[in-house]
Amino acid sequence: MIVVTGASRGLGKAICERLQARDIEVFGVARDVSALSFPSMACDVSQPAQVKAVAQLLKTGGKAVSGLVNAAGIASMNLALTTPPEASKRIVETNLLGTIYCCQSIAPLIIRNKGGSIVNFSTIAVALGLKGESVYAASKAGVEGFSRAFAREMADFDIIVNCIAPGPIDTELLKGVSAAQIQQIVSRQILTRQFTPDAVCDLVELLFDPRSRSLSGQVLHVGGA
Amino acid sequence: MHNVPVGDSKQRIFDVIAGLLDGKSIAVSDQTPLIGDGSVLDSMKLVELCLALEDMASELGFAFDWTSETAMSRSRSMFRTAGALASEFIAQRGRPE
Repeated sequence: MIVVTGASRGLGKAICERLQARDIEVFGVARDVSALSFPSMACDVSQPAQVKAVAQLLKTGGKAVSGLVNAAGIASMNLALTTPPEASKRIVETNLLGTIYCCQSIAPLIIRNKGGSIVNFSTIAVALGLKGESVYAASKAGVEGFSRAFAREMADFDIIVNCIAPGPIDTELLKGVSAAQIQQIVSRQILTRQFTPDAVCDLVELLFDPRSRSLSGQVLHVGGA
Repeated sequence: MHNVPVGDSKQRIFDVIAGLLDGKSIAVSDQTPLIGDGSVLDSMKLVELCLALEDMASELGFAFDWTSETAMSRSRSMFRTAGALASEFIAQRGRPE
C-alpha cells in the first residue's frame, strides 16, 4: 500500500488515480476525504498528532506500507515583503513541517515492510529562484534539504527518498496565476512547455518501480532546470 | 499484558538492547550510553530499538512516542542511556493517553 497526502485534489488526486489504475493499493490523506472512494483518513499534515493518528491506524490495520507520496501542499504567489507572517507560517507548516511529520510517522511502517520509496514534492521555483515565490520556494527548499539528509538516514533500511520538483502544472494550485505568468516561468525551464499532471504521475510511477532503486536523495525537475 | 511489572519492562528493554549488539559482550546497565560518545548502537540499531519498543508498548496496551520532546536534548534525551530510555518507556506507560 502507498500512502498519498493531498489526495483529494490536484497532483495528489492525479497520483492516486494513476496508482490505482496500476492496481496499486492507495491510502489517501487529506483535510477533507468525503469525496474519496478509497481507504482514507482526514488529516491536516501540519498537525503532528493527526499525522501520528494516521500512522497508528495503518499500523493497527496491519497493511504493508511500501511507499509515501507527500503531495499535500499550499502555494503562494507573493512578494516576500507583502506576505503576512501568518501566511508564511502556514506555508512552512504545511509544506515543510507537514512533509517532515509524514516522513517521521510513515517511514517506520515502510521500515517494517523491509524497504520502499518516499516521494516528496518541491518546486522548480527553488532551482529557478522565481520572483514572487520566495516564501513558497523557501518552504520547498527546506523539503529538498530534508529529503537529501533523510535519504541517507533511510538508506540503511532499503528505502529511497527523492523529490519531484514540478514547474507550473495545470492544477488548482495555479488558480489565480495568469497565462502570461505561467508562460514566463515555463520559458525558463529547459523544456519550454507546460506539462500536465500526467508527467508528474509518470515520475511517481518511476520512483515506485524497482528499476529506480539506484536513485535516492535526488530532485527530479519536471521540465528541467 | 497490562499487568506486567515495571521492573520486567526495564529488563526486557535491556534484553532488546543486548540483542542489537551483534554479539558484542557488553553488559547493558542503566548507564549504558545509546547516543553520543561511547554509544553501543549505531543509528540503524537505534531505529530498530525504537520499533521494538513500539511493539512492546503495543503488547502492553499503549503507544510509545520516541519523538517526544525529551528526545531532543543531549542532557535530557531519553536515548542518553539505557536506564533513561527504560524510565521514559515506563513513564509513558503510566501516562494517560
